[in-house]
Amino acid sequence: MLIPIYGFVEGDTMGVLVLAEERESVSSLTSKLLDAVSLRVDVNYQYEAIYQGHVLAPDATVVQSDLRPLQRLDLKRKHDVPEGSHNR
Amino acid sequence: MLNREDWLPLARKLDWEFSYVDEKEVYPEIVSGRPWLTHSAWKDWEESFKTSYREYVENQHEKDMAVYAVRDAVGRLENVQSLATPWINGLKVHAAALPLAEFTATIGNLRSARFGRDSAWRAMASFGALDEIRHTQIPLLLMHELVRWDSQFDWTHKFYHTNNWLAIAARHFFDELTLGQNAIEFQIATNIVLETGFTNLQFVGLASLAHGAGDYMFEKMVTSIQTDEARHAQIGHPVLGLVMRHDPEYAQYLIDKWFWRNWHLFSFLTGVTMDYLTTGEQRSASFKEFMEEWIVDQFFRTLDEFGLKRPWYWDIFQEELEVYHHMMYASAYTYRSTLWFDLVLPGPDDRRWLGNKYPKHWNEIEAVWQRIDDRWKRSGAGAEKEMSVHAAVLPAFCDLCQFPLCGGTPRNNTANTLELNGASYIFCSEPCRWIFQKEPERYAAHKDLVKRVLAGEAPADFTALRTEYFQLTPGTWGKDVYGGDYEWLSANPHSS
Repeated sequence: MLIPIYGFVEGDTMGVLVLAEERESVSSLTSKLLDAVSLRVDVNYQYEAIYQGHVLAPDATVVQSDLRPLQRLDLKRKHDVPEGSHNR
Repeated sequence: MLNREDWLPLARKLDWEFSYVDEKEVYPEIVSGRPWLTHSAWKDWEESFKTSYREYVENQHEKDMAVYAVRDAVGRLENVQSLATPWINGLKVHAAALPLAEFTATIGNLRSARFGRDSAWRAMASFGALDEIRHTQIPLLLMHELVRWDSQFDWTHKFYHTNNWLAIAARHFFDELTLGQNAIEFQIATNIVLETGFTNLQFVGLASLAHGAGDYMFEKMVTSIQTDEARHAQIGHPVLGLVMRHDPEYAQYLIDKWFWRNWHLFSFLTGVTMDYLTTGEQRSASFKEFMEEWIVDQFFRTLDEFGLKRPWYWDIFQEELEVYHHMMYASAYTYRSTLWFDLVLPGPDDRRWLGNKYPKHWNEIEAVWQRIDDRWKRSGAGAEKEMSVHAAVLPAFCDLCQFPLCGGTPRNNTANTLELNGASYIFCSEPCRWIFQKEPERYAAHKDLVKRVLAGEAPADFTALRTEYFQLTPGTWGKDVYGGDYEWLSANPHSS
């Protein structure tokens, strides 16, 4: 089942809709979201996923992270040091 | 034979007491508005123009002849073709957004011509309705005929009949402002906030930029419209004055609500045109400077005049004034094929100018443009490369203003969610959320574009969304004005 999530990546000018799969990892969802905004955002940084004020574990699945439809998910830069290909 | 001074008041102030029906049935609150007061409270309602129908027709005829004369002299196709390409695309924005919105104001005025609470108000609203028909017809006449040269001008008629995302946002605004509104809220929102306030951006700011751009036809069109608005906008002041005396909290709410709603609409329509679709040498001031001089100052005078306070969200507004339309334009550029006009990549001189005018957050916006530059450099210029420099996932939209979630800054987007009666909503800003929560019964059932897609009412496939739902074609959808072919871009081939 696909879960629609509002994604906001630090450095972007807008929010986008991303469809998460229940068994998908947070890390995979992060990559999907970064790919979606890469035209506007330099995504060569380390990012952490933040949902309702909590940092999500990258290995946890979408269901384990209790991501709900039509809620806000943020990707915030962990460090302002480019990481090359860490995320992409 | 009576003199004008004798017969005009007889015609304008023609109210009577009802003998076989209750006044509340004649002017029900749902259509006439609140606070509901007996006519004794309204009987001294007055405005300063006191125009007769004969005078109105003579004046309008003269104004129309002046517009036609300017069109014949400087409004021919070759005159439009000589304008800067970005400016022509600003014209397409206004050609689409303006005329049929004006027509909805005809309906709003006609409602007031029936349900306004004093005969002088109803008389002036009748003229207002005629004005708005004129404001529909003039831009249709002048701009739709350009479709023979450029098919994107077809959107002069087509825009509001589509489900294009920007049309959804504009329709959400005008449906509430003019079509589905009671007489009191219509007059305060339209006359006080829109016509005495925000349309100054068009009538003064954009008219001056049009002059600088050599677009004398557009300049004449909007200044001619302004003379009508200055007259019928007089309805709003005595209406607001009476509401303020009887229900000041409600008056404050209407002002606060409509200032914010206008702000978001005009940020796109005018902000984008002024700061991005006007070329460097034509710019006399930034959108922010026009806002501060012609909107904010005027708004403060209105607040003082009526004893109103600044809206509670004033700090948020001032922050958005720095950055909101930049967030919108950069976003829209990356989704340009969802629009009916072409967008320009701001060049180094433009960015320097914008950086000086908007120093607070420009570095964050500049980073986005550099990223887009890099994509053009990697893909190379040309029409066939357009989609290489284009986003492909569905944007998310605010459940109040219906614009993309572009609130805040790139570092800190201000979107926020709300759960209400088992449904989820998202808003681009606190004021949008506040307006929604004040009247949820008014807004909750409206589906934003994302919810339409999720409900299966709009295609999820991006191509089908553009063509079937937005009614665009490869020939009409928006592109980069120059196909990414910028001398400055190829002169700096560095890619990050």
